[in-house]
Amino acid sequence: MASPEPAIAVKSLTKTFGNRRAVDNLSFELPHGAFLSIFGPNGAGKTSLLRILATLSRATSGTVLIRGIDVRKEPDKARDHIGLISHNSMLYPDLTAEENLLFAAQLYGVADPAQRVSGLLEAVELKHRRLDQVRTFSRGMTQRLSIARALIHDPAVVFLDEPYSGLDPHAVEIFDGLIAAIREDRTSIMVSHDLQKGFNMCSHALVLAKGGMVLFDKRESLDYQDFSQVYAKTVGMGVA
Amino acid sequence: MPLEVARPTTFKQYRTLLAKDLRQEFHTKEMLSSMGIYALLVLVVFGAALAQTANSFDILQMSGGLLWVLIVFTSLLGLNRSFSHEKENGCLEGILLVPLDRSVVFLAKASSNLLFLAAVELLTVPLFYFFFLTTTTPAESFWLIVLPLVVGTVGVSGIGTLLATITINTRGKDVMLAVLFIPLVYPLLYACVSATTAVIVGNESFLETYFQSLLLAGGYDVIMILLSWVLYDFVISA
Repeated sequence: MASPEPAIAVKSLTKTFGNRRAVDNLSFELPHGAFLSIFGPNGAGKTSLLRILATLSRATSGTVLIRGIDVRKEPDKARDHIGLISHNSMLYPDLTAEENLLFAAQLYGVADPAQRVSGLLEAVELKHRRLDQVRTFSRGMTQRLSIARALIHDPAVVFLDEPYSGLDPHAVEIFDGLIAAIREDRTSIMVSHDLQKGFNMCSHALVLAKGGMVLFDKRESLDYQDFSQVYAKTVGMGVA
Repeated sequence: MPLEVARPTTFKQYRTLLAKDLRQEFHTKEMLSSMGIYALLVLVVFGAALAQTANSFDILQMSGGLLWVLIVFTSLLGLNRSFSHEKENGCLEGILLVPLDRSVVFLAKASSNLLFLAAVELLTVPLFYFFFLTTTTPAESFWLIVLPLVVGTVGVSGIGTLLATITINTRGKDVMLAVLFIPLVYPLLYACVSATTAVIVGNESFLETYFQSLLLAGGYDVIMILLSWVLYDFVISA
């Protein structure tokens, strides 16, 4: 039976940089297994929000609960459940694919790191390149390996920060399949600039502008045409 | 079946981080080669600069200072590079996503910087002796320079690692690191130069100067490294 507790709960979250409010009093909840797509123009606060959720940045005020754990009070406990896939691969280019994954597995304390690494390399179809330095990988291969790195400790919550950026159409196709696999049994939040793709993938949609919430709803309650009009209007609001 | 994950001990995480730095160096040889070549070039420059002065100064009195100039400048080069790999591709963020005591990142990085600098010293100190001290007669106590070298290198690596972390995201980080590093390392440098010169010259009361300087350098090491350890969580999170 699914837990009644939301997987992610954000309450009155605010982040300021000087006088500028990057995130302005945001509140929302996501159930387990949800896939939230976050949209908004540049400077809307999407990445700032994601960084706070991922414990990489501290909120000025407000609360974030990941599976009931307050990320401000118990960040390490929350990190056990978090994986982040970003346009930055977080991979050492001079280490091999296998070394990169083993490094992450050992840091997290995965019981059988070699087996886990082997399984993930197979899942992202990079086993044949396991002994090659990441520097020699294409952008698509690097991004696939970064998925494996993010999933090394089997996190329950995955954040994706513009994961499609810089991928060619073929890599996007492969990546789609991997994201579909990630979603199973996990709660995901993705920041996207691709409105159609992000909308099609999500179970919930959030539109931000100037750090504030313009729209947050389940996808089933939204019509794409209406949604895209709201988005176009939001982009017209400009950056924060 | 759910994946079995048990948070490793702090020591295991330290070992993993240190092994990663060493493995990376094993692949690239970047730190050792750049620091080594730079140190050799500084030696050549010293040689050229001092060649014209021949007998008008006492090389024994100067050699401690020259050796530490070489070590400090070489360490600056290494410290600047030590975080460039972490910055590339957002690797540091990857580490910060892991549930670990942030001070472990400091300890591991300071340890790898220490090992790289020590390796370069192993190469350059004999060369320094060959270039500058074979034409004169250093005291029999020369071998005692090992201790100030160890104490100084530990301090330079510890203080430098903290400052390299602070300057990693600043504009003109190379200059910024030097501007912060030299004043902060000055007391340590002064004490190490004093101890090194004392054992190379070997005056009557050299042991007194040597131990007093080592005490000062060691005490400064302990204070600064403890301070770095305590501040590191704040510094790396900022």
